[in-house]
Amino acid sequence: MVFSSLTFMFAYLVVTLAVYFAAPLRWRNLVLLIVSLFFYGWGEPVYILIMFLSTVIDYTHGLLVEKYRHDDKKARWFVGQSVVFNLLLLGFFKYYDFIVTNLSLIPGIDIEPLGIPLPIGISFFTFQTMSYTIDVYRKDAPAQRNIVNFGAFVTMFPQLIAGPIVKYKTVAEDLNHRVYTTENFALGVRRFCVGFAKKVLLANSVGALWDASLAAQGDGTLTVVGGWLGLLAYTFQIYFDFSGYSDMAIGLGQVFGFRFEENFNYPYQANSITDFWRRWHISMGSWFREYLYIPLGGNRGGTMKALRNTFIVWLATGIWHGASWNFILWGLYFGVLLVLEKYVLRNALAKMPMILKHMYTLFLVMVGWGLFAIEDLGRCGAYLKICFGGGELWSAANGYDLRSYLATLVILAVSSTTLGRTVWHRLPEKVQKVATPVLMLTSLLIGTAYLVSGSYNPFLYFRF
Amino acid sequence: MTKAYSRFITILFCGFIGGMFFLSLLLPDRERSETENRLLAQWPEFSWETLKSGEFTDGVEEYIADQFPLRDAWTGVKARVEQLIGKTEFNDVYLAGDTLISKVETPDSALVDKNFGYIQSMADKTDAKVHLGLIPSAAEIWRDRLPAGAYSWDQTLLLEMAEKTGLNTVDFLTALKEHAGEEIFYRTDHHWTTLGAYYGYVAIMEALGRGNEVLSMDSFTPEVVTTAFDGTLYSNSGIHWLKSDKMEYWVKEDGLTVTSWRTGKEEIASLYDRSYLSVKDKYSSFLGGNQPLCVIRNENAAGGKLMIIRDSYTDSVAPFLAQHFSEVHLLDLRQYRASMVNYARENVIDDILVMYSVPNFITDVNMVFMGL
Repeated sequence: MVFSSLTFMFAYLVVTLAVYFAAPLRWRNLVLLIVSLFFYGWGEPVYILIMFLSTVIDYTHGLLVEKYRHDDKKARWFVGQSVVFNLLLLGFFKYYDFIVTNLSLIPGIDIEPLGIPLPIGISFFTFQTMSYTIDVYRKDAPAQRNIVNFGAFVTMFPQLIAGPIVKYKTVAEDLNHRVYTTENFALGVRRFCVGFAKKVLLANSVGALWDASLAAQGDGTLTVVGGWLGLLAYTFQIYFDFSGYSDMAIGLGQVFGFRFEENFNYPYQANSITDFWRRWHISMGSWFREYLYIPLGGNRGGTMKALRNTFIVWLATGIWHGASWNFILWGLYFGVLLVLEKYVLRNALAKMPMILKHMYTLFLVMVGWGLFAIEDLGRCGAYLKICFGGGELWSAANGYDLRSYLATLVILAVSSTTLGRTVWHRLPEKVQKVATPVLMLTSLLIGTAYLVSGSYNPFLYFRF
Repeated sequence: MTKAYSRFITILFCGFIGGMFFLSLLLPDRERSETENRLLAQWPEFSWETLKSGEFTDGVEEYIADQFPLRDAWTGVKARVEQLIGKTEFNDVYLAGDTLISKVETPDSALVDKNFGYIQSMADKTDAKVHLGLIPSAAEIWRDRLPAGAYSWDQTLLLEMAEKTGLNTVDFLTALKEHAGEEIFYRTDHHWTTLGAYYGYVAIMEALGRGNEVLSMDSFTPEVVTTAFDGTLYSNSGIHWLKSDKMEYWVKEDGLTVTSWRTGKEEIASLYDRSYLSVKDKYSSFLGGNQPLCVIRNENAAGGKLMIIRDSYTDSVAPFLAQHFSEVHLLDLRQYRASMVNYARENVIDDILVMYSVPNFITDVNMVFMGL
């Protein structure tokens, strides 16, 4: 199930809220566990088994790590086991087919891909459960003794399928003891409405423009302008889609008494690629930093080691996004850019006027999305080639698309900046008080109208 | 936030989602949607099998969407918002001033070749003369009305291919283009109006070599049967604020006998089924809508037996043709699934007219029955 669906909004969420808040405090984690399993099993009931397996194994390992705390060797052994289990789970479901397909390219090897559907959110929840045993080992959080509470952490529906990647230590306290206030509930649903509008109204409506450019490429009518228009559309689509979903997740978390960390911070306002990655999918970046980059040694131990570690992290980041070469290329692309910014471009960048910094960043990010969006490397290269002058400059169809989407693109551009937030905070409190319910209702009403009309509601981050 | 204000925001949100939830529980399920002209999804039957395959949960999602309270109104809201932000395309329908025009996508050329092939092979097998009439849709005739740069496939390409078959063709393009300034298509429906059908009739008679018999426009007295026709494009686009279309009957029923197989067995019918005028699908009042087979007989006609392999555009032009032919047979390949050659032989048909609108011709997958 996805948040941006009628089933979720007008059936699942209603029943879930009613049951959850009707239940006495000590039953609420159990309720959360049950409704989350229902949520997860909705699309692929069989995969509930993965949830059970994941819960039981990581729960046990957490306890074992704590039990052998005095014996570091044993404790490390159990952390290792749990990490390997999670990586195998992820590896099998997500990368098996990719690996065997590529291996079969070698003469003499011929392994059939299995073609099993990817369990939704597997990249997210395996990372979350990995963080658990590691946090326990590092004494960042105590082991969870109650398996229901732990199950609620693993399966928690607000962030289960698309993040943010919640590190165990950040919710350890909330799991055992949460504070419910009407204010939190109100703030939570307000945040949910913001995310709902971003996802359903903004991301979905610009998605068709990206599809039009892809279709044009297929027909051989893609132009330079059309290519960039498509990239721009995808740039907006993926941001509003993903950050909208994160907003909904954070808002729902707050409704249920959890405090999730922020996942986006106006990434398209970044003034360098380094800055961009501090603002984009923050929970993933910090996961890799805390559980991979720093354990590898980080930037201690000289430039060569730091370079090695950076590339390992960006290779992993790329692979994490999908089992396909373009994602690996995409990860390495950013690895190279970050290294360049750190060791080569630092001074040049510092001297650049602000506007140029933004243009430089956005340009590279957009090209990056080109790599990201088209999995077939041949098509991807052909698309980018057209963008860089390998085609007609523009066509009448571009004019039509521009006219049709001009207002949408302007709204998206403004919404990508902090302008709206700045204006909002300058408004007198009285105006805010009136505007809040009006804007919330607008989001809900128009969003519902879009969902009911429902011609276009794909969800980009579903498969990661 | 103060406590009272927080409570207000909470009630607002919960009231909205809870309200819609209870409304959908309370409102009775609808069997079909008039606006969309289709059956609506019902609550799926549960079984462990369908649960495991995901069929059940998909069914529930469809049910919730289809039975959502005030479904049509929500669709209208979306169209309004899209219009506000400058969109001119609504679910493959262009809004051109006060007119809706359905976009035509680039066809699958393999299917088009196959369809022409079936017609060729029918022409080779039958003794009747085979004529081909492809009706360009509003997107072609009114191309200049489309929003600047808006895409719609060039339908003249198909007409050129039709010429190359060597069969006798009806030149609907010229006939309709000549009168492009008139109301020859409905503004809210994809069909031609009775006026458009009249020009179509003239073109057909000329193609069949009987242009001298054509009845002039003054010989008819149009009867306006409704001014409240909201057609298929009204439904598809969600644009519900345009003025409804008016619909006219030109031809009088006198002297004609209509035999219809719309219930599956032979029955006496009429040129117009006025019961459709009180429902949404008013275009179906011509001959009573889609049916496998319909025969119109006219004892006073000059003569000749015409067989039309049809889509719904034919229904409004058939009354005109019935003035000249002693028998007009209308066959719909989507429902009449048997050899056309045999039918023509058994009924001693003189002329076979394959008449489709271009959008239907390039997507139809039932033409194999012409090849048999």
